[in-house]
Amino acid sequence: MASPCEVLMEVDNEKLAWQLLDVVAREAARIEAKFSRYRDDNIIHKINTAADKPVEVDDETARLLDFADQLFQMSDGLFDITSGVLRQLWRFDGSDRIPDKEAVENILDRVGWQKADWQNNQLRLDKGMEIDLGGIGKEYAVDRCIQKVGELTDQSVLINFGGDLATSCPRRHGKFWSVGRLITGRDQAVALFQLFKGAIATSGDANRYLLKDGVRYSHVLNPKTGWPIVDAAHTVSVAANTCTEAGMFSTLAMLQGSQAKAFLGVQGVEHWID
Amino acid sequence: MQLKDIKTQMSLATCTLLQIAVPAAQAEENEWDVETAILFYNEDDSRVSAVEPAIYAGRELGDDQRIDLRLVVDVLTGATPNGAHASSVAQTFTTPSGKDSYTVKAGETPLDDTFQDTRVSFGADWLIGLDRLSRLTLGGNLSKEYDYQSLGLSATYARDFNDRNTTLSASVGFSSDTIEAEGDIPTEFQPMVVEGGSRNREGADDDKTITDFMIGVTQVISRNTIMQLNLSLGNTDGYQNDPFKIVTVVDPATGLPATGAFFNTATTGNLPYVYEKRPDTRDRTVLYFKTVHHLDEDVINFSYRYYNDDWEITSHTFDLKYRYELEDSYLQPHVRFYTQDAAEFYTHNLALDSDVDATSGAVSLDYASNDYRLAESETVTIGLKYGVPLSNNSEFSVRGEFISQTVDDGSVPDGEETPDLDAIILQVNYSLLW
Repeated sequence: MASPCEVLMEVDNEKLAWQLLDVVAREAARIEAKFSRYRDDNIIHKINTAADKPVEVDDETARLLDFADQLFQMSDGLFDITSGVLRQLWRFDGSDRIPDKEAVENILDRVGWQKADWQNNQLRLDKGMEIDLGGIGKEYAVDRCIQKVGELTDQSVLINFGGDLATSCPRRHGKFWSVGRLITGRDQAVALFQLFKGAIATSGDANRYLLKDGVRYSHVLNPKTGWPIVDAAHTVSVAANTCTEAGMFSTLAMLQGSQAKAFLGVQGVEHWID
Repeated sequence: MQLKDIKTQMSLATCTLLQIAVPAAQAEENEWDVETAILFYNEDDSRVSAVEPAIYAGRELGDDQRIDLRLVVDVLTGATPNGAHASSVAQTFTTPSGKDSYTVKAGETPLDDTFQDTRVSFGADWLIGLDRLSRLTLGGNLSKEYDYQSLGLSATYARDFNDRNTTLSASVGFSSDTIEAEGDIPTEFQPMVVEGGSRNREGADDDKTITDFMIGVTQVISRNTIMQLNLSLGNTDGYQNDPFKIVTVVDPATGLPATGAFFNTATTGNLPYVYEKRPDTRDRTVLYFKTVHHLDEDVINFSYRYYNDDWEITSHTFDLKYRYELEDSYLQPHVRFYTQDAAEFYTHNLALDSDVDATSGAVSLDYASNDYRLAESETVTIGLKYGVPLSNNSEFSVRGEFISQTVDDGSVPDGEETPDLDAIILQVNYSLLW
C-alpha cells in the first residue's frame, strides 16, 4: 500500500489476534498485487497494454470499474481513472517545473473515461490510454479487510492503511477509538477524533506541489484541462460508513477546489478541511 | 460542476462495490431515541411519596437538526411540614380552604396532610446546527399542576474552537410562573384564623418571573478527560412565599404559642401562627464544575456546584459517580454531599412583643419563614445503579438511592427541633433506539 499500515484490535484472545492480523495482511497483499499499476503480471497491466483490444475482466475488477464509472458520472468527469498519464508531465516535487501548454494539450488525447468502451465485463481503451485504480484501491482494501475481519469476530478492530481507516464494529462499553489527524506542515497530530464506528479517510497534498511565480500548483489534476485544480484544500478528511465512501468524498472534495467545503456541506457528511 | 447531493448515489455505489447491504448507520439517522423511566420517591414518617413516570424521545431531523421531547408526570401524596414547630402542647390548625381544621399532638411536628398534587410537565428542545462549528438550541417547557403553572423558554448558543477541543456556550432562560393557591393567596404576616373565620386572603393567584444567564466552557483535557465550567446568574422576581407555610408566634414568658390579646383565639379567632413572608426578589450566582475521566474501562464522574444568593443562602454540592464495568453490564455507585447555610430571614418562630405586637398582631420584621428548606442543612445521598445493555440499541437500568437530610435549627428548646428527613428513591429505566 506504499504507506504505513496498522491493525488495532480489542480482542481478548492472542490466537484470534494473530489470525486477524494474518487475514488482513493477506487480503491487503492480494488486492495490491491484483490492482497495482506498478506490476506487469496483473489485470491492470493487461488492460493498459492491450492497445485498442478489448480485455475481459473478472467480477471483482468489473465491480471496481463499474464503481469508477459511477464516480465519473457523479463528479461530471472530474474523477477519472484514466487521468494517471497526466503524471508523465506533472511531477509534484516542490520545484517550479511547470509543463508547457502544448504538451498538456497533446497528452489530453490520452485522457477521458468517456472514450473507454466498458460493457459486458469487457474494457477496451484507445492505444496510449491507461487506467489507474490507485484512487480507489487503498480505501477498497480497508473495507475488504474489515469484511474479512467481520467474518471471524464481532469484536472491534480498526484497520488503518496510511490514514484511511475503518472500524469493524463499535468497541465494548461505549468506548471509542481515538484517531489523531495529521495536518500538512505540522508535526503533531493536532486533532483527535472519537471514532465509535464507521470510517475516516483523508486526502491531502502532503508537500506534493509545484511553486512558480508565487502560484502553488496542487497535485490534484483536473482531467478535463490537464492542469492542477486551483485553490485545492491541503487536507480533507471525511467520516462515513465505509472507508470507500469516506475516501471518495474526500477525493471529490479536493477536486472541487475552493468549493470543497460547500460540496461536503451539501452531502451532509462529517468533514474536516485545512 | 454544480454542487449536487450525491450522498445516496455514493452510498449505493459503494454498497454495490463491497457487496454489502445499505449500512445500518444510514437507516439509523431518522430513528427515535426513546427513554422511559419510572421513579418512586418515599420520605419516612409518612411524609411525601411521589411516583414519577417519564418519557424522553429525541431524533435527528437531518441537516444538522435535532429535536428532543420530554414528558414527565409527578403524582405526589402525603404530608408536608406546615412551618409551625412542634410544641409541648397540642396545636390546632385550619386547612388552606378555611373549612376544616386538624390538631397535632404535643411533641409532634405539624404536618399538613391535605397535600396532594399531580404535575404534568412537557418540554421540547430544538437543536439547529448553524455551521460546522456552532449550534443553537431553543427550548420550551410547560408545566401544569393543580395550583401552579409554569411556562419557560430558553436559548443556548454553543461554538467549538481549537479543533473542537473547546466549546464555549452562552444561554439565556426565562420562565413565567403563576400560583393559584388552594384557598387563595394568604396575606403575608397575617394570622391563620379558626375554621369558618374571616380568612386573611388577598386574591386567587400571584406570579413570578425567573431569568437566568449562563456562560460555559467545555474543554477536552486529554483523550481520557473532559472538563466543564459554567457560571450562571439568575434572578427571580415576584411571589416567592410558600402559601401553605406559617410561622409560630411564641410567648417568651411561657415558651408556648401565644394566647393573649390579639392571639386570644376565643375572642379574635386568630391562631398564634402568621403566614410567612419572603422577599419578592432573589438574585443568585451559580458556579458549576464537572469532569469526566475515562480509566481503562471505568468512568469517574465528579461535579461540584457552588450556589449563593442574596437571601444569604450559600450551598455546596459535591457529587461523585464511579461507573464500574462488569462483563456485560455496569455498576455505578453514587455519593452526593450537600450543605447549605440558612436564609437570613429563616427563623424558628416569632417572639411575641419583640417581633409581633401583642395587641395589633403587627410583625416588625421584614421577612420570616420557618420552611426547613431555607434552614441550615446537610444532605447525604448514597446510591447504586445497575445497568445492562440488552442489545446494540437498548439498555435497562435500575437505581436506588438513600437520602438523609439533617436540619440544624440553631439553639431551640428540646422537642421543637425540625426533624431529620430520610427518603429513598427507586428508579427503573429503559432506553432504546426505535
